[in-house]
Amino acid sequence: MLIKRGAEADIYLIEWYGRQAISKVRKRKQYMHEMLDREIRMKRTLHEAEMINMAKRAGVTTPLLYFVDPINAEIVMQYIKGELARDLISQGFGWIAEMMGIYTARLHARDIVHGDLTTSNFIVYDDGIDTPRLVLIDFGLSFYSSRLEDKAVDVRLIKEVMSSAHADVFDDAFKKFTQGYSSILGDDYARKVLKKVKEIEQRGRYARVV
Amino acid sequence: MAICLGIESTAHTFSCSLVDEHNILSDVRSIYKPPEGSGIHPREASRHHAEESANVLREALATAKISIKDVDIIAYSAGPGLGPCLRVGAVIARCLASYHAKPLVPVNHAVGHIELGIRLTHARDPLVLLVSGGHCMILLFSRKRWRVIGETLDITPGQLLDQFGRELGFASPCGARIEELASKSSRYIRLPYTVKGNDVSYSGLLTAAKKALNSNKVEDVCYSLQETAFAMLAEATERALAFSRKDELLVVGGVAANRRLAEMLATICDRQGARLHVVPMRYAGDCGAQIASTGLEAYKAGIMVEPIKAFVRQSWRIDATDVPWREKSIEISS
Repeated sequence: MLIKRGAEADIYLIEWYGRQAISKVRKRKQYMHEMLDREIRMKRTLHEAEMINMAKRAGVTTPLLYFVDPINAEIVMQYIKGELARDLISQGFGWIAEMMGIYTARLHARDIVHGDLTTSNFIVYDDGIDTPRLVLIDFGLSFYSSRLEDKAVDVRLIKEVMSSAHADVFDDAFKKFTQGYSSILGDDYARKVLKKVKEIEQRGRYARVV
Repeated sequence: MAICLGIESTAHTFSCSLVDEHNILSDVRSIYKPPEGSGIHPREASRHHAEESANVLREALATAKISIKDVDIIAYSAGPGLGPCLRVGAVIARCLASYHAKPLVPVNHAVGHIELGIRLTHARDPLVLLVSGGHCMILLFSRKRWRVIGETLDITPGQLLDQFGRELGFASPCGARIEELASKSSRYIRLPYTVKGNDVSYSGLLTAAKKALNSNKVEDVCYSLQETAFAMLAEATERALAFSRKDELLVVGGVAANRRLAEMLATICDRQGARLHVVPMRYAGDCGAQIASTGLEAYKAGIMVEPIKAFVRQSWRIDATDVPWREKSIEISS
């Protein structure tokens, strides 16, 4: 059953050996040249599978992988029932923003750059028994890098998303995110990253007064 | 009914337009053309604007069949743009406003592109792709401002095409000539494809495309450049569309005139179940109508400036501009 038509892939809820699972299929993009499209889909599928596992080692909760098929650009993984941070963050769920910062920092500590840190890629899993947990998904654009610049681009994206889609809670949410980030990588490093974020913003069009 | 005169002079175009609540009464333009192989020289462009301004204004009034005395509001593009060019428009607007004692309204050029796009397409609450020589932004409206949800991290597609075109000896703007060359090829050369979340980066693509000219046919490079650049933009836009769950996409700005881009955006809208609005080609590029339409709305919302304090800003981001007249502010929520 198709449950979401994302920008990158179609998400199906399927049954996988007796349990519910997610099948994520990167469909052929009609607008893209076939050669480019095939390469991108295969690369991202493999990246995603690899990085989902690496993220676990970094202490970031991600779905379990069941099956990977790079040729057909399909990944079968654990179904996480929950709500997207995007839909909860405006209601003042402060811990979510802070936890997003912690997860991001844990990845960055291992030189993993997620590449698509938006609030729709964090799922809040709540089974009603344990305390709710945050699960990070969609590692298709992720890569390894030790460069400050790449990590700052990661942080800049979440800042951009918070300041546009969540403009009403931006100040508080981004502050919480930063606190979470600092708590893992330290104030000094967090300051360095935020300084770099500013620098990238200044590079943007019409940002600097000339 | 209030009539607004809009004066546009941010870059290569000097334009005057008269609009009222319902109609664009006139929109007259004079475009500075740089010599082959070069881009806009700000000083030369401003000289062109100064020389052409009287004729353009006269023709705009004549076409609308009104006298300057019938004009109720004078609006000018106050930025962002090239300093010398902006100052020509501002000087003319100030003079007219003080001599004829009319209210003077500063307009953000980028807001102008969107306002005119909404006016002409009747989009309701769209995700906006603003793509031109100066801009490359994906925007949504929230809390009285257009907020940026994705943008270029370095140069714009317009600059990419212009700088590449100059390498081929064309004069800016080069988009149409590159599109024509591209249509003669279907051989794809692999070029760098850089999407970072909802953002794109074109500087690496520009360098690689210039290099590719050494060992490939021009048509093939044009084709591959266009395919890669627009696919990046389409992907970033689709990501923002899926994220924001808007059911309309509005495309504005000079590059909206490119057919290949419009084609790609049509397929993503189809996939995401969104309605695609593309600003009519005649009003895609810079024009006075975008300033006049916005000036009219801004004036009704109480935005005005005394001629003595009228400013220009070369750097003026759209997300630093209040848009108090736009009520619709649909927050993303379930």
